[in-house]
Amino acid sequence: MASTVNPADIQPRQVANKSDKHAFLEAIRMTLNIQSAAIRHNTQTFNRNRYVAVAKLTDYDELKDCARRIKEQAIADSPQLLKQLEESVRRNGGHFYLAPTARDANQYIRDVLVKHEAKLVVKGKSITSEETRLNHELEAAGIKVAETDLAEFILQLADEQPSHIIAPALHYSRERITALFKKKFQTSLPLDTGEELTRFAREKLREQFIAADAGISGANLIAADSGSLMLVESEGNIRMTMNLPPLHIAIAGIEKVVPSREDFGTFLELLPASATGQPITSYVSILHPPLKAPPFAAPGKAEKAREFHLVLIDNGRSKMREDPVLREALYCIRCSACLNSCANFETVGGHAFGGETYSGGIGGSWEAGTGKLMNARFAELCTACSRCVNQCPVRIDIPWLNENLRHRMNQSQSPSLTKSAFGAATGSAPQDRSAPLQKQFFGNYHTFGKWGTHTAGMANGSLDWPIARSAMESMLGVDHRRELPKFPEKSWVDLYREEPRPQRRPEASAQAGSLPSVSVLADVFTNFGSPERGMAAIRVLRKCGYDVELTPSLPDGRAALSQGMIDTARQQAEGMLQMLRPYVEAGRKLVVVEPSVLAMFRFDLRHFADPAFFEILRSISFEPLQLVSQATQQSGLDLRSTFPAESWSHGTKLFYHSHCQQRTCNAATETIDVLRACGFDVVTSSVECCGMAGSFGYKADYYDLSMAVGEDLFAEIRDSEAKGGSRALVASGVSCHEQLWSGFRRPVHHPVEILDSIAR
Amino acid sequence: MTSPATDASSALLEQFVIEARNAAATAEIVDRTPQALSAAILAKAGDAQRILFAPPQVMSPELFAPFASEPRVVTNPDSEQLVHSAVSVTEAFAGVARTGSVCVDVNHQRTGIVSLLAPLNITVVAAENIVPQVRDLFRRDVLNGEGLTRDFVFITGPSATADMGPLVRGVHGPHRQHVIVVR
Repeated sequence: MASTVNPADIQPRQVANKSDKHAFLEAIRMTLNIQSAAIRHNTQTFNRNRYVAVAKLTDYDELKDCARRIKEQAIADSPQLLKQLEESVRRNGGHFYLAPTARDANQYIRDVLVKHEAKLVVKGKSITSEETRLNHELEAAGIKVAETDLAEFILQLADEQPSHIIAPALHYSRERITALFKKKFQTSLPLDTGEELTRFAREKLREQFIAADAGISGANLIAADSGSLMLVESEGNIRMTMNLPPLHIAIAGIEKVVPSREDFGTFLELLPASATGQPITSYVSILHPPLKAPPFAAPGKAEKAREFHLVLIDNGRSKMREDPVLREALYCIRCSACLNSCANFETVGGHAFGGETYSGGIGGSWEAGTGKLMNARFAELCTACSRCVNQCPVRIDIPWLNENLRHRMNQSQSPSLTKSAFGAATGSAPQDRSAPLQKQFFGNYHTFGKWGTHTAGMANGSLDWPIARSAMESMLGVDHRRELPKFPEKSWVDLYREEPRPQRRPEASAQAGSLPSVSVLADVFTNFGSPERGMAAIRVLRKCGYDVELTPSLPDGRAALSQGMIDTARQQAEGMLQMLRPYVEAGRKLVVVEPSVLAMFRFDLRHFADPAFFEILRSISFEPLQLVSQATQQSGLDLRSTFPAESWSHGTKLFYHSHCQQRTCNAATETIDVLRACGFDVVTSSVECCGMAGSFGYKADYYDLSMAVGEDLFAEIRDSEAKGGSRALVASGVSCHEQLWSGFRRPVHHPVEILDSIAR
Repeated sequence: MTSPATDASSALLEQFVIEARNAAATAEIVDRTPQALSAAILAKAGDAQRILFAPPQVMSPELFAPFASEPRVVTNPDSEQLVHSAVSVTEAFAGVARTGSVCVDVNHQRTGIVSLLAPLNITVVAAENIVPQVRDLFRRDVLNGEGLTRDFVFITGPSATADMGPLVRGVHGPHRQHVIVVR
């Protein structure tokens, strides 16, 4: 994938449309080289502030439920609400236009402005107008458009697309803005601070506000009952846009309509907190225009009557409404929490992880819904790490949307004999066999695990041949710089079967009968990748007093799902669920060692399982350390004496990185508590994801990005060790182990392995 | 003499002032007398040559009378004056304790424009109109449902941006926001 183009010479506009794979990969290179530092700083600030702000909302979960309900109902009732809204706007004295396409919206707005002989339009931030490329239409008609949001002002000067849905120029550092202004305005003024830059832009724009013939705004929400708009901002430019000129045009997507102004309260509590992490922004306007108050007339100009037009655009949204997957995206309130909580987004921003208008985890669905499916190619950067899932104020399962986009993109590929044969041999469902070889390779991990384990000597040897690695890179896109995990001689299930029978009992030291019986799922990653870890988990649980048995090893669907092979995932999940039924019906709890598989039981399986069975699975599935923690309460297990930290051969100081999906499942704190109760000094990571994210970091196209994401975690570890000396590295996820190994080339331990080695 | 109700309302008031300051506004509580209010406004306005004043709709005009009689106060500004004044004074029909916001009706005369253009905006709110949460403005049973019918803006601190790199206060809207609660 080597390119000869200097990243500094790649213009963001040239790589905005991601239907071209080359543009997509160039965009990743360009953003990593030029924009990454500013994006990290800005998104991670939003992210930290959001966690603080939502923690202060005492009824955060109820607010989210309420917002979700309102949006579901509003989208279901959309046709009626639009009729009601039209009546409300007309009753208020405004004009209403429902534009079927972006072009219709642009032409309507142009015609209104031409009729008013408008020469200068001031515009507040509107991502919807970016979608329609409104400015081009107006400028072609000789109307000057002044973008007045400072971020949009920067983008207009630079001719770039937004890189973020609420802070569209967040990829610009202060230094780069200074350079841009100096170049575009040929000024010798000092512009070396945020204040100087802001003053410079403000003075330019104040002239425009005073002279403007019309203002164009967006809208965060629109109420059908009253024709009310809600507009959230901090700079004051949107207030200027709506309050000063006599002509006000608001443009928004039809999904912004909710039944009543009474609904605004719920969203206004959630939106600023979820967006920038503020309890509220500087200004929130609640209006049902046209205003009765007189407009501003520039000195010397005659005062005109106010006029208001509401332009709602469909542009694919009605089709999205009929689509069970894309419909979810219509619930989005554009808060950007899914962008800011995403490790990949934090590293490259929306010029790589985004299209011509929309960006981030939710952006793929919007680009596909308002444009073409392949424009959503950047959805490949969603690793389904799930960190956004709990952050979405309207509870959109964003990874599921991206897995479905990937599924559709796989299916849109032309089939080939090679792909079909490969898929048939490795276990792809027939519908998934047009997927690229790489996806079918990673999606059928269990098949390769089975082959590799049964021929371990040969398989491992061949993985070390340069020619084999070069073939894997060219055919499967597996990066040669990653070390591939070695296949074991025996799988976890083999090791378990070979155990002498008498060992299969809980330790006598614990109170018999007070703890539930548990089944440990022989997940495919542990079964073929780290069987000794699996055995350690079993021994630790027994040591805690549990009666433990291991299930057979069947693929759970995670690997296939993450490649967008949804039919394969469903097939696999159904097989596993059938296998598990007797265990569940026997009342046993379920332990899952690999956190990405635990996440299947906590949320992803809802798409494949019978709802009642899913609810049971969700409530009985645990990460092993959760059960260790429960034993301390239920049977009085004393961790300090059972697993004394001092007995571990690698010291008592640990750096623990919990797995992204483990945190989303609320299954990480017990590990930290247990390790501390054993006497360990534990420092934890604060990053959202290590960057490896299952197969993602193995892929040659994404290796550099994966390592750049990992750098945040590596830096935390280096900082911690610089302050307090060396620490043993500990992680719960198999791919986090690989990433930490890549970063440090030091052993990485799993918590169950630590406890097991102490107890043996 | 204190009752549980007044304790609750003074806690709300205290929270309001703290949160307004957290949002980088300045805030003070003054007695509900024309003299005290006038003194507070003029002290904040400093030596500004002209003060724009949007006459009140909710509070009594008498409360503002001494202030309004100041010669540098302009109540019916022309465009030139709107653009070139250092201070504006407006009333709010509500305040929000949890965020330190004031709610200013932008549809009453020129209040919307007056409160927006001058670098310093001073907004006056009555203590009894401070509600606990943002969502209260969207309820029929709070403040007679006024939040459901008025055209208004929640103002929370001065205008701000992070688009130029660091956080900068003072963008298109006022650079300084002062809130006076009359009690």
